[in-house]
Amino acid sequence: MKTIEIIVAPDGNTRAETFGFSGQSCREASRFIESALGKATNETLKPEFHQATGSQQQSTRQ
Amino acid sequence: MSHIVQIEAQVRDPVAIRAACSRLQLPEPHLGSAKLFSGLREGWIVQLSGWRYPVVCNCNSGQVDFDNYEGHWGARSRLDAFLQRYAVEKTLIEARRQGHSVVEQSLADGSVKLTVNVAGGAS
Repeated sequence: MKTIEIIVAPDGNTRAETFGFSGQSCREASRFIESALGKATNETLKPEFHQATGSQQQSTRQ
Repeated sequence: MSHIVQIEAQVRDPVAIRAACSRLQLPEPHLGSAKLFSGLREGWIVQLSGWRYPVVCNCNSGQVDFDNYEGHWGARSRLDAFLQRYAVEKTLIEARRQGHSVVEQSLADGSVKLTVNVAGGAS
Protein backbone atom coordinates (compact mmCIF):
# COMPACT_ATOMS: atom_id res chain seq x y z
CA MET A 1 0.00 0.00 0.00
CA LYS A 2 1.24 3.48 -0.88
CA THR A 3 0.76 6.07 1.81
CA ILE A 4 1.87 9.59 2.65
CA GLU A 5 2.18 10.32 6.35
CA ILE A 6 1.86 13.99 7.27
CA ILE A 7 2.67 15.25 10.75
CA VAL A 8 1.39 18.75 11.46
CA ALA A 9 3.25 20.16 14.46
CA PRO A 10 1.49 22.32 17.06
CA ASP A 11 2.97 25.40 15.36
CA GLY A 12 1.58 24.46 11.95
CA ASN A 13 4.81 23.33 10.36
CA THR A 14 4.54 20.08 8.52
CA ARG A 15 6.59 17.00 7.76
CA ALA A 16 5.53 14.66 4.99
CA GLU A 17 6.94 11.15 4.59
CA THR A 18 6.14 8.70 1.82
CA PHE A 19 5.90 4.92 2.15
CA GLY A 20 5.69 2.12 -0.39
CA PHE A 21 6.61 4.04 -3.51
CA SER A 22 9.17 3.10 -6.11
CA GLY A 23 11.36 5.29 -8.26
CA GLN A 24 10.56 8.98 -8.45
CA SER A 25 6.84 8.40 -7.94
CA CYS A 26 7.00 9.36 -4.25
CA ARG A 27 7.96 12.88 -5.26
CA GLU A 28 5.09 13.08 -7.71
CA ALA A 29 2.66 11.65 -5.16
CA SER A 30 3.54 14.07 -2.40
CA ARG A 31 3.95 17.15 -4.58
CA PHE A 32 0.33 18.19 -4.09
CA ILE A 33 0.85 18.25 -0.33
CA GLU A 34 3.99 20.35 -0.64
CA SER A 35 2.43 22.87 -3.00
CA ALA A 36 -0.79 23.02 -0.98
CA LEU A 37 0.81 23.72 2.38
CA GLY A 38 3.64 26.05 1.60
CA LYS A 39 7.29 25.91 0.82
CA ALA A 40 9.38 22.75 1.06
CA THR A 41 12.49 23.66 3.04
CA ASN A 42 14.30 20.35 3.25
CA GLU A 43 14.13 16.95 1.61
CA THR A 44 15.70 13.77 2.95
CA LEU A 45 15.95 10.60 0.92
CA LYS A 46 15.22 7.52 3.01
CA PRO A 47 17.70 4.64 3.52
CA GLU A 48 16.08 2.27 1.04
CA PHE A 49 16.86 4.75 -1.68
CA HIS A 50 20.54 4.83 -0.74
CA GLN A 51 20.76 1.05 -0.56
CA ALA A 52 19.57 0.94 -4.13
CA THR A 53 21.63 3.78 -5.55
CA GLY A 54 24.36 4.68 -3.06
CA SER A 55 23.77 8.33 -3.82
CA GLN A 56 24.22 11.29 -1.54
CA GLN A 57 22.13 11.14 1.61
CA GLN A 58 20.52 14.53 1.80
CA SER A 59 19.62 17.32 -0.53
CA THR A 60 18.31 20.72 0.41
CA ARG A 61 16.18 22.88 -1.77
CA GLN A 62 14.54 26.22 -1.40
CA MET B 1 12.25 5.58 -3.48
CA SER B 2 10.81 7.26 -0.45
CA HIS B 3 11.55 10.59 1.04
CA ILE B 4 10.78 13.00 3.86
CA VAL B 5 9.95 16.65 3.21
CA GLN B 6 9.81 19.49 5.70
CA ILE B 7 7.29 22.17 4.75
CA GLU B 8 7.15 25.74 6.02
CA ALA B 9 3.51 26.73 6.37
CA GLN B 10 1.89 29.34 4.14
CA VAL B 11 -1.78 30.31 4.29
CA ARG B 12 -3.31 30.61 0.82
CA ASP B 13 -6.74 28.93 0.79
CA PRO B 14 -9.85 30.80 2.05
CA VAL B 15 -11.82 27.53 2.17
CA ALA B 16 -9.30 25.99 4.55
CA ILE B 17 -9.17 29.22 6.61
CA ARG B 18 -12.94 29.05 6.99
CA ALA B 19 -12.81 25.36 7.92
CA ALA B 20 -10.10 26.01 10.51
CA CYS B 21 -12.12 28.84 12.10
CA SER B 22 -15.20 26.66 12.21
CA ARG B 23 -13.34 23.77 13.80
CA LEU B 24 -11.76 26.07 16.42
CA GLN B 25 -15.11 27.78 17.04
CA LEU B 26 -13.75 31.17 16.00
CA PRO B 27 -15.91 33.86 14.39
CA GLU B 28 -16.40 33.36 10.66
CA PRO B 29 -13.49 34.95 8.75
CA HIS B 30 -14.16 37.66 6.20
CA LEU B 31 -12.26 39.29 3.37
CA GLY B 32 -11.44 42.92 3.99
CA SER B 33 -9.03 45.22 5.76
CA ALA B 34 -8.18 45.39 9.43
CA LYS B 35 -6.25 47.81 11.56
CA LEU B 36 -3.36 46.31 13.41
CA PHE B 37 -1.23 48.39 15.76
CA SER B 38 1.40 48.57 13.03
CA GLY B 39 -1.06 49.70 10.35
CA LEU B 40 -3.77 48.63 7.97
CA ARG B 41 -3.62 45.16 6.37
CA GLU B 42 -5.82 43.55 3.75
CA GLY B 43 -6.74 39.89 3.47
CA TRP B 44 -8.83 37.31 5.27
CA ILE B 45 -9.52 38.57 8.78
CA VAL B 46 -9.42 36.00 11.56
CA GLN B 47 -10.22 36.93 15.15
CA LEU B 48 -8.42 34.69 17.63
CA SER B 49 -9.71 34.23 21.17
CA GLY B 50 -8.31 36.82 23.56
CA TRP B 51 -6.41 38.71 20.85
CA ARG B 52 -6.61 42.51 20.79
CA TYR B 53 -5.99 42.73 17.03
CA PRO B 54 -7.13 40.28 14.37
CA VAL B 55 -4.84 38.10 12.32
CA VAL B 56 -4.78 38.96 8.60
CA CYS B 57 -4.08 36.19 6.09
CA ASN B 58 -2.85 37.37 2.69
CA CYS B 59 -3.74 34.47 0.41
CA ASN B 60 -1.67 35.87 -2.45
CA SER B 61 1.59 35.86 -0.55
CA GLY B 62 0.75 33.17 2.00
CA GLN B 63 1.85 35.57 4.71
CA VAL B 64 0.03 35.96 8.02
CA ASP B 65 0.19 39.42 9.58
CA PHE B 66 -0.44 39.87 13.29
CA ASP B 67 0.55 42.08 16.16
CA ASN B 68 0.42 40.48 19.58
CA TYR B 69 3.19 42.53 21.21
CA GLU B 70 5.20 39.43 22.09
CA GLY B 71 2.23 37.80 23.77
CA HIS B 72 0.89 40.81 25.69
CA TRP B 73 -1.95 41.32 23.21
CA GLY B 74 -2.69 37.67 22.54
CA ALA B 75 -1.21 34.26 23.24
CA ARG B 76 1.03 32.87 20.52
CA SER B 77 -0.43 29.41 21.21
CA ARG B 78 -3.79 30.57 19.78
CA LEU B 79 -2.13 31.54 16.52
CA ASP B 80 -0.19 28.27 16.42
CA ALA B 81 -3.44 26.34 16.93
CA PHE B 82 -4.99 28.19 14.01
CA LEU B 83 -1.98 27.52 11.76
CA GLN B 84 -1.99 23.86 12.71
CA ARG B 85 -5.68 23.48 12.02
CA TYR B 86 -5.32 25.34 8.72
CA ALA B 87 -2.62 22.89 7.61
CA VAL B 88 -4.79 19.93 8.62
CA GLU B 89 -7.87 21.25 6.82
CA LYS B 90 -5.85 22.15 3.70
CA THR B 91 -4.33 18.67 3.59
CA LEU B 92 -7.78 17.06 3.94
CA ILE B 93 -9.16 19.22 1.12
CA GLU B 94 -6.28 18.54 -1.27
CA ALA B 95 -6.02 14.81 -0.53
CA ARG B 96 -9.73 14.32 -1.17
CA ARG B 97 -9.50 16.42 -4.31
CA GLN B 98 -6.86 13.95 -5.52
CA GLY B 99 -9.23 11.07 -4.76
CA HIS B 100 -7.28 9.81 -1.75
CA SER B 101 -8.74 8.75 1.58
CA VAL B 102 -7.30 10.28 4.76
CA VAL B 103 -7.19 9.14 8.39
CA GLU B 104 -6.66 11.84 11.04
CA GLN B 105 -5.14 11.10 14.43
CA SER B 106 -4.18 13.36 17.34
CA LEU B 107 -0.77 12.58 18.87
CA ALA B 108 0.27 12.93 22.51
CA ASP B 109 2.68 15.79 21.79
CA GLY B 110 -0.07 17.94 20.30
CA SER B 111 0.75 17.13 16.69
CA VAL B 112 -1.84 15.85 14.24
CA LYS B 113 -1.00 12.87 12.06
CA LEU B 114 -2.71 12.49 8.69
CA THR B 115 -2.30 9.22 6.80
CA VAL B 116 -3.13 9.59 3.12
CA ASN B 117 -3.85 6.34 1.29
CA VAL B 118 -2.78 6.97 -2.27
CA ALA B 119 -5.33 5.47 -4.63
CA GLY B 120 -4.09 3.94 -7.92
CA GLY B 121 -2.20 6.21 -10.32
CA ALA B 122 1.31 6.62 -8.97
CA SER B 123 3.17 3.33 -8.50
